[in-house]
Amino acid sequence: MKFLGIRLGSIALGLLGCGLIQVIANGQNSFIQLLVILAGLYVTLAVSLNLINGITGQFSIGHAAFYQVGAYTAGVLARSFFDKLHLHPLLWLVLVMIAGAIGAAIAGLVVGLPSLRLRGDYLAIVTLGFGEIINIIARNQETLGKAYGLDIAPRISSVFMVWALAFLTIAVCRNLLKNVHGLTFLAVREDEVASAAMGVDVTRVKVAAFVLGSAFAGAAGALYAHALGFISPTNFSMDVSFIILTMVVLGGTGSITGSALAAIVLFYIPEKMRDLHPMPVSSIVAGAIAIVVTVAVVKRVADNFRGSRRNKTLIIIGSIVGGVVIQLIFSTILRGVPSLQQMVEGSKLRLVVFAVTLVILMLLRPEGVFAHHEFSWSWVKKLLGHADIPETEMSA
Amino acid sequence: MVAGLELFTLPQQLVNGLLLGSIYALIALGYTMVYGVLKLINFAHGEVFMLGAYAALFASWALGYGPGGHAGQSSILNLAIMLLASMSFCALVGVVIERFAYRPLRNQPRIASLITAIGLSLLLQYGGQIFLLNGVPQSISGNVNPFPGQVSISLRGADKVALAKAEELKPAMIQTQADLEAQLKNEKSRFDLSPKGEALEKKAQEAKRSYDNLIDVANAKTVGINIGYGKIIMFVAVLGLMGILTYLVMFTKRGRAMRAVSHDFSASALMGINVDSIITFTFILGSSLAGAGAMMLATFQSGTKIDPFFGMAYGVKAFVAAVLGGIGNIPGAVLGGLLMGVAENLVDWAGFSNYRDAIAFVILIVVLLFRPGGLLGSAKVEKV
Amino acid sequence: MTCLSLKEATIKFGGLTAVNKVSFELEKGDLFGLIGPNGAGKTTCFNMITGVYEPTSGGIVFEGRNIEGTPSNRIAKLGICRTFQNIRLFRSLSVLENVMVGAFLRHKTSLASALTDMPPAIKETRALRDQAMSLLEVVDLADEANLRSADLPYGSQRRLEIARAMATQPKLLLLDEPAAGMNPQEKLDLMGVVRKIRDEHQMTVLLIEHDMRFVMGLCEKIFVLDHGEEIAYGPPDSVRNDPKVIAAYLGEAV
Repeated sequence: MKFLGIRLGSIALGLLGCGLIQVIANGQNSFIQLLVILAGLYVTLAVSLNLINGITGQFSIGHAAFYQVGAYTAGVLARSFFDKLHLHPLLWLVLVMIAGAIGAAIAGLVVGLPSLRLRGDYLAIVTLGFGEIINIIARNQETLGKAYGLDIAPRISSVFMVWALAFLTIAVCRNLLKNVHGLTFLAVREDEVASAAMGVDVTRVKVAAFVLGSAFAGAAGALYAHALGFISPTNFSMDVSFIILTMVVLGGTGSITGSALAAIVLFYIPEKMRDLHPMPVSSIVAGAIAIVVTVAVVKRVADNFRGSRRNKTLIIIGSIVGGVVIQLIFSTILRGVPSLQQMVEGSKLRLVVFAVTLVILMLLRPEGVFAHHEFSWSWVKKLLGHADIPETEMSA
Repeated sequence: MVAGLELFTLPQQLVNGLLLGSIYALIALGYTMVYGVLKLINFAHGEVFMLGAYAALFASWALGYGPGGHAGQSSILNLAIMLLASMSFCALVGVVIERFAYRPLRNQPRIASLITAIGLSLLLQYGGQIFLLNGVPQSISGNVNPFPGQVSISLRGADKVALAKAEELKPAMIQTQADLEAQLKNEKSRFDLSPKGEALEKKAQEAKRSYDNLIDVANAKTVGINIGYGKIIMFVAVLGLMGILTYLVMFTKRGRAMRAVSHDFSASALMGINVDSIITFTFILGSSLAGAGAMMLATFQSGTKIDPFFGMAYGVKAFVAAVLGGIGNIPGAVLGGLLMGVAENLVDWAGFSNYRDAIAFVILIVVLLFRPGGLLGSAKVEKV
Repeated sequence: MTCLSLKEATIKFGGLTAVNKVSFELEKGDLFGLIGPNGAGKTTCFNMITGVYEPTSGGIVFEGRNIEGTPSNRIAKLGICRTFQNIRLFRSLSVLENVMVGAFLRHKTSLASALTDMPPAIKETRALRDQAMSLLEVVDLADEANLRSADLPYGSQRRLEIARAMATQPKLLLLDEPAAGMNPQEKLDLMGVVRKIRDEHQMTVLLIEHDMRFVMGLCEKIFVLDHGEEIAYGPPDSVRNDPKVIAAYLGEAV
């Protein structure tokens, strides 16, 4: 009884949260609404990729492919059936979500099978290859609209559904890690040979991770198709896969909440950059110099500094401030160089931000911002220096 | 639409495939050597290739073949300067990437290096979009190539029977043509013929059509190969570079050290090999080969559009070539590159040109599933 | 009753014959030692028995069933579990979690019930945790249950491997150099643990070890391998005095 109460309570709370986001978004213009939807979709994508990459350790970098399969499944279904069925739009959304999830899960199964024989970087490149093949097929099939893409008749943008999906994805991953089944996923990540020796069916675990992860991405794709009302192969290019990957890496391998938070942050910053005024190349060069210097200093300090933790933090903060100063100085100096005065649109910098994030992160904190911690109160307490709380996924 | 398989164009396609494949082979060598010593897929290698093409482009501009145009006769010297420029620039880029992006991560899990490599690759692409001529596609002027001609090799001449028949028809065709010309002089207008004129015109057209048909039939059976002189130079240069590489790797002290490192990283360090300098050496070799490949492709494959993203496709295909041949295996990379180029042209030839870019991944997946060690490599058994 | 028997098991890697026609039999409840100089093929035998490698020829019979070429995880399910010479813990998992992965082998709930966090899955997780905890007490690691396993000292990591393998409730336990890197006192404690495993948990134990005092003091039967071939077999005393063994191995080692 107690179990049922807690379960219903948390579901109700989750739905209430989605409703709240919907209500807040409703007050905004349609562009902002779209952004809220996209942010939710990226949360789903990042958390589901984290299941494959971070938790199970199967380095997949073609997640956009599953997103694409979901979106095209929804697109094709909407074009052929929506008018005939006369369903309530939200009910229809639920149906295409399920269809998109099934379609993507099948694709995930196909990709998961080679993963049984491949490890690490080889698997990475195969997943990338699958992504490209799927994109090339979409680009050449008449029924999939070729390079132009598909118009999807009813635009149904439901903030509520998108965020409900995001919460569902998070909940499922959390449940997995909370139960002993999740440990086998982590064990496969840590050591396949030892896992098999302990009786873990490595094949089953890997395929389950791929199928589950891609199903969520497929459901997100279905919602995306309907929210935009139009999909084309360019919406699912390799760049999208890399963006999702960056989110997972930034969040920390295996950290569900880390992935979710990183997805929101990394989605928000580049969107903000679209609004930036065009800036001269000189200030970008200055920024690059500042980043290089700061990273070099911080790396040095992080690796070799022997003083107290507080001093270390102070020096790191100092070097970041120093970086800003360097940026200002150099952009003033370089303003005098005529060949660097060309203006660059802010939007052109979007993917540069992802690339720089990836590289700097790997150099300074390869385990990601949250490492394998979950964002939870016990973790916050621990950060502040309370209690000895275990350091591993399950317990965090 | 699936065109019928035109066997007559096959030799040309095969040769094109080999030529393109030689470029893939050059890039694949870089992947394979770096993988050999570091066990790292250098994702940014395709971007090094792209930068090499830009270096060649800028060198050609500096030599006077800029967008403004230049009339002068080019020379082998110019080509050598461009080659040197792109090779040395790429070597520099490779060394910088290794030193500042990969070396700090050498003790981290391999995935960290792989993510860094992906990040670098993105950074070079999108950074290039800002800094390299705004990302507008460019191509090297065709005038840079001092030998614009081509050599034609005929494997089988025209069908003699059809040709003889055509010759038989020729006088009749000329006659009807002459008759028509004569009649035209009496006509008021070319477009408003008298009945007699119309009849003559029809006759002339028919005679010409049957003659043309026979000529087509005769020519359809010719099998020939056209190769630009430039591409011959390219192929010879590729072979030369591979020869130099083989010498360096097989017969020099550094090369031996390099093979030792790729065999056992930590044992080599214990044996007194300076692993860092060997890795730098590997990056210099691999990157300069990519630079050479980029320069030659951009110069001799006329109309190659250089933009910040064009390295990706070549990089991926060359990587597949390296895997196909057996990654870490130098002759394997060459074999894989050539096969890759041929496979791509065969896909084109079979009428699936839209799927030209997919074949690389299909090959990759098939190889990894059925012969993970590649054609010349052997799969390693993990020690437990 | 025969627990495990190797019948002329042979494995070749390329041109190298790592194990050549090795045959031996373990009775139920045996404490069986497998010794031999470095590179003799001992670990390769373990790898054949546990399905990491498939023998090139010959057979392996466990409880009347041919198991050669069966995948590792199926063999674990049949009741053979092992430790590794080059410790292979799930390094970023906690000590307790490592053992729970072993205990998972006897799970009953479905993945679906775990994904939806249903009461059976919750209950099972709790039960397996308790079970793992009691095994940690056997190997004396209960106090370290929540540490990251990679942070344990070397000797404790070896004991954790044993606990993890025991958690799968095997009938036959294979220990690959369990005492390597331990000090004399730890070795003595470990001997007690291994005896307890056999006596109280009714497991058959097959172990590889280089420390002669450890093997001779613990095992009732000893099989000696050299260059992949049998050179001696018998109780400790006869093996100790076998001239072939002394020549191949004990001559230098003791």
